[in-house]
Amino acid sequence: MALSIAMKEWKLLLKEKGTFFWLLLMPVLFIILFGSVFSHLGSSSISLPYIDLDRTQASQSFLDSLAQKSGFRLEAKDASTLDDQVDRIRNGKMSSLLVIPQGFADEIGGAGGKQASVELYSDSSSNTVAAVRASLENVANDLRETKIDGALKAAGENVDQRKQALASPLLIDDKPQNATAVNTIAQVVPGYTVMFVFYVTISMIRRFLGDKSSGMTARLRTTRLAPLNYLLGMWLAYMVVALAQCAVLLGFGHFVYGLELGNVAAIVVLVILLALCGTGIGLALCMLVRGENQGMAFTQLVAMGGAVLGGLWFPAELMPKTMRTISHFIPQYWAQSAFQDIMLRGAHLGAILPSLGVLAAFAAAGLLVALLRFRGFMKSAMS
Amino acid sequence: MGKAIEMAQVAKSYDGKPALKEISFEVREGSCFGLLGPNGAGKSTSMKILSGLLEPDRGSVSVFGRDVRKSAREIRQQIGYVPQGITLYEKLSAFDNLAFFGEMYGVRGSALKRRIGEVLEQVGLADRAKDAVEKFSGGMKRRVNLAAALLHRPKLIIMDEPTVGIDPQSRNHIFEMIRSLQQGGVTVLYSTHYMEEVETLCDELAIIDHGEVIAKGELGEVLDRFGMQAVYLELQEGGALPPVPSGFGKPAPRERGWVLETPSPLDALTAWASACKARSLKVKQLEIVRPSLESVFLSLTGTTLRDN
Repeated sequence: MALSIAMKEWKLLLKEKGTFFWLLLMPVLFIILFGSVFSHLGSSSISLPYIDLDRTQASQSFLDSLAQKSGFRLEAKDASTLDDQVDRIRNGKMSSLLVIPQGFADEIGGAGGKQASVELYSDSSSNTVAAVRASLENVANDLRETKIDGALKAAGENVDQRKQALASPLLIDDKPQNATAVNTIAQVVPGYTVMFVFYVTISMIRRFLGDKSSGMTARLRTTRLAPLNYLLGMWLAYMVVALAQCAVLLGFGHFVYGLELGNVAAIVVLVILLALCGTGIGLALCMLVRGENQGMAFTQLVAMGGAVLGGLWFPAELMPKTMRTISHFIPQYWAQSAFQDIMLRGAHLGAILPSLGVLAAFAAAGLLVALLRFRGFMKSAMS
Repeated sequence: MGKAIEMAQVAKSYDGKPALKEISFEVREGSCFGLLGPNGAGKSTSMKILSGLLEPDRGSVSVFGRDVRKSAREIRQQIGYVPQGITLYEKLSAFDNLAFFGEMYGVRGSALKRRIGEVLEQVGLADRAKDAVEKFSGGMKRRVNLAAALLHRPKLIIMDEPTVGIDPQSRNHIFEMIRSLQQGGVTVLYSTHYMEEVETLCDELAIIDHGEVIAKGELGEVLDRFGMQAVYLELQEGGALPPVPSGFGKPAPRERGWVLETPSPLDALTAWASACKARSLKVKQLEIVRPSLESVFLSLTGTTLRDN
């Protein structure tokens, strides 16, 4: 009987146009959108407009050096537009403008200790200005080192002596510890997979409340179907939907973005526990809410609130300490941590047991609430 | 013949408001029993108690001799419940809906397929089996709604206002089905607020109003006991008020003519005929008519069923 209920649900879901959009297409679109946004944040997407009034080999060499050091995309502007460009900064339409004044080459290459200068027009409220300034200072430091090197050479120091004199007293020894596959996709794909499992609740609420208001629940009570089989069948249906959803989204991440899934057995167990947790909480909500609108509001709270606090949109480490503490009480946090442990740190089943335990506890709590409230749900459906 | 249903002193309240006030009635096996009353009279509550959906506060209810509270599971297998609302999945086809309900009643496999074919044939929708229910008219949906309750060959069909808002063709299909079920020995409990349906279909009835049974028994018996005989007059000229014979009440309009209720219909007919002749009015139809349930309801409650 429970299987018949589940089969009927699957038939209905396949016939409803919105199902594929909300359960599959929407999360895929999110993954594509946020995957491309975040994966380009670290690359040379910042452009730096400049006006070269000097137009000499020295000014060009300076610009080449800046482009190489900063990774910025340098964008030449016509000298005649200087006032317009400055106006654009004042109006907030542009964040910075580099101007190399006439005589730059003479000043930088000339003797007599005269200091060359460049002008940086900037919007002080812009976040990118600090990066531009740091890059300019980096180039200035290089020029200073070249100048000192020349002075030391003139004083008769050999190459080793000059190298030693110019060496920084502080060495940063970079030792990355994570697996090679560290990338934004390993954040975004499991993140949106976890988030959208909790959105299955919307379909569950619609069906439970729809059956109740149409009199279907009451009618089914006049058949041989035991009430618990109804609950079991509905739960089974959406449990399988959540599993299929996870498989499609993780498969999409793997085949389209090359996401390393890690230990498959661990992923499978995690996905099952995640689906149990999401549908368990969903089932509890179905029994608790009084109407579809209330159900939607609670689902948004659980799914969106859980996504933010659980570190599904951005790493939990970026959140303030209080939020990080709160996130430990959110199932999404444990699911995401476990996914990243498996995908990025090569964790096996044993290593994610604490996360699995928390997800199982949330699933059990949800199912318990659903069972306790089910009698009341059926009673209200009969009258 | 045994009793299919026995309700004795059944009471039910919702939030302290009484819906049923110790009602009692019995339904013979194989009969078509009408439960007639206005909306909110307590018909649906009675149906739900019989189907095991609601428990009565007091009183006893038995179906085929078994207490509905003690033998709910066994009784459910013998009952086909047709609710007032259309409870079908609109996106699924008629076949898929019936397959689902069949499985819920424990019918499976080839037996279920065969049975679906039979009931679809009975409701006249065999050629629309694969169409989604959402494409059906209201009457067709009602027919599938009824078919869903027949899949497990129940001995008792409980129908809660099965013809509300449907077209004449679907109504006729449902009436034919009820007659055919009755001929096959199935007991039918038919709830409605349409008096004509009870008069057409039912052998026995109970009239229910404000949670109380105000009249019950065989149709003819109820009509004889509570209804008043009447004379019907229709003039060639149409609906103009005819002369009223002295010593009788005021006639009421009905269809294209007038009805005069009276305990002495023969005298009224003679007097009316004389009055028309005296005024040279051409009579199209003049006859003694059978009392109606409308007049029964009027005499018992002081209001017409339609007013409710």
